[in-house]
Amino acid sequence: MLKHRTARLNDVVRSRQSPGRAIQERARVLSASPQPCSEEGAGRHHSVAPWLILAVLLLWICGPARVSADDSPWQWTMALKQNLLKDSMIMPTSLYIDEEKEQYYVVDSGRNRILSFNRDGELLTIFNAGRSLDTPFDMVRSDDGLIWIVEKGRNSLTSVNLKEKAVQPMTLRFDGALLYPDRLEYHDGLLYVLDKMTGDVVAFDLGLTPRKRYACSDCVEGFIDFRIHGDRLWALDNPGGKIVVFAMDGTVEERMDLGDPVTYPYSLAVGPAGYIYILDRQKRNIAVYDKTGTYKYSFLRYGFARGEMYYPTEIRFDPWGRLCITDEGNARVEVFSR
Amino acid sequence: MRALVTLLLSSAALLLFLPGPARAAVVCLDCHDRNQFTNLVVHEPVREEKCTRCHNPHVARHDGLLMVREGRLCYSCHDQLPNRFNRGYVHGPVADGQCTVCHDPHASAGASLVNEDLARNCLVCHDKLPLEFKYVHAPFSNGGCTECHLPHNSEQQGLLKARADELCLSCHQPESLQNGHENFPADPAGCLTCHNPHGSDRPGLVRNVLHPPFEKDCATCHGLKKMQAAVCLDCHHGVSEEMMRIHSHLTRQDGNSCLNCHSPHAGDDERLLRGPLQQLCVSCHMDVIEGYRLSTYKHPAMQNCGDCHEPHASNTLSMLKGDGIEVCARCHESQGAFSHPIGGDVIDERTGQAMTCVTCHNPMGTEFAFHLLDDRGKGLCILCHKNY
Repeated sequence: MLKHRTARLNDVVRSRQSPGRAIQERARVLSASPQPCSEEGAGRHHSVAPWLILAVLLLWICGPARVSADDSPWQWTMALKQNLLKDSMIMPTSLYIDEEKEQYYVVDSGRNRILSFNRDGELLTIFNAGRSLDTPFDMVRSDDGLIWIVEKGRNSLTSVNLKEKAVQPMTLRFDGALLYPDRLEYHDGLLYVLDKMTGDVVAFDLGLTPRKRYACSDCVEGFIDFRIHGDRLWALDNPGGKIVVFAMDGTVEERMDLGDPVTYPYSLAVGPAGYIYILDRQKRNIAVYDKTGTYKYSFLRYGFARGEMYYPTEIRFDPWGRLCITDEGNARVEVFSR
Repeated sequence: MRALVTLLLSSAALLLFLPGPARAAVVCLDCHDRNQFTNLVVHEPVREEKCTRCHNPHVARHDGLLMVREGRLCYSCHDQLPNRFNRGYVHGPVADGQCTVCHDPHASAGASLVNEDLARNCLVCHDKLPLEFKYVHAPFSNGGCTECHLPHNSEQQGLLKARADELCLSCHQPESLQNGHENFPADPAGCLTCHNPHGSDRPGLVRNVLHPPFEKDCATCHGLKKMQAAVCLDCHHGVSEEMMRIHSHLTRQDGNSCLNCHSPHAGDDERLLRGPLQQLCVSCHMDVIEGYRLSTYKHPAMQNCGDCHEPHASNTLSMLKGDGIEVCARCHESQGAFSHPIGGDVIDERTGQAMTCVTCHNPMGTEFAFHLLDDRGKGLCILCHKNY
């Protein structure tokens, strides 16, 4: 692992080049060959029919103004943030998307609140559970309408019943051991909690009875993030630089080595077409792998401007195929679409 | 006769202006004392009196009229070394290309142009290493640093020649250890969690400060079902509360993340650290330290990560000890008064957040003066002031 990381240092240093240089680089890329148009096409070299070139050129000329994300097919679309000066978010840590309501919920850990946005990125409400939240970190909504919030400050999984205005912090245990909840997902009536103490993912029913543990036997630190996609649980091993894919019954189905393209894998997401997106917190970019785990391309860079990352902390896809990146350093969620 | 005089004058002129090492040395040593370049081991260019292999006699950009920067100059002949020294943990002077920190470029009494009193050489830099012990490890007292350490680079932390346990057992036979380690597992391991390899005020080189449970009752920790960090946090309530912050070093880390930095048995001070803090941080954050080292401009005198970062947990970015102003203002008290306005009333329109020191500077290093994020002439300013 040591050698692995050392070999990637030059990439890290390069990724920290100045935003000014990055702009020049971006200009160079924009003047280069046409951008790939599908998730599968990105990063692949093949012959292109003349009519396709013409179509791409027309789209390029007639399309709306946009910010390119390097040589990737991803274009900056909008940012979820609090525009009121002096009331900006402080260290937002996660995003939850309610498909039914078509709303985004951003957990603003530094100001102990949750902000909701509509699908167009307009701020709707600011919720702080009667000022009772203590360093919220992640959240989901269960089918029964309860909101579940990981509160780091209480080391609790807290349920919020909006109708009854009831807030109930609860500590979690598995085999008698206290859990330190970190990341949270909801799937098929179960709450999936990443325990920072063990690095394992533990599934709880809504009564908070533990049902199953997803553990990595050969990971040094356990997992740092996970997603549930296609009835499989995808977990990210940070120092090991690999993804472990579990069947929902807990058996390991697959392991994918991420290799040199990533230095400090921090979050993962699986795209609609099965491509795997890895957020690299150190390089401030996203590395994309195909379904077989073959590296395809990377995009995004260090910076503070639109479309740039400072301290990205989580990535996830919304139900409309857009890639959402929570950046706690820049206090916003950047949304990219193809 | 005239022809002879002309020939002699021409030869003299030719000798005077002819560039060449032999001629150069003659001129150099007219002023520079030859005795300074004489010893048991003499560097080949010196022995051949080829001073201009390294020095420009007229003018140069580098100290000592060196033709090119020190490390690069050495590697121009010793061209196999960069690849060898590029692996694993690299000794600071090697990483910075400062070969002459240890090697004399002209002549020395020791092999490889290293001072014959190697330990004295090492202790010039490692001056914080305690020298006064009641009990001293023989290789250390004999000045045999290289019996355990490699001088250039190593795959092992602390530039050790091999894994610490292997190194200990290469001299101390396992059978002989049983006497002092009752009930110890058959294969001794983790020697350095209890012993200081240099010296100690306790017999057996046991480190000076003992963990109370280790001193009183091993069963306080051992024999429990699991040896996760929870075992430590059960007693260390303050640290337990720290773990309830946004970012923490709480990880499984081979079972117990506390033990990644702390020894459960004994230490050299009350923190029971396994080594110097910087060395501990590097063991996981090698890429961060290397990024710092490779940067052209960086915050100077950063010897201790703990000066700015919280080692356990923090509610700030990068686990800093405060926000992007507080951490800097502890030393840079007056900068905010005369530089670009910063603070809560000055909003960076790109992010909607308050401008801080790190809006423009990256103390971990950049390619621009004052470790700015871009050129201070214009590039940096137009990142925000686009109409300038």
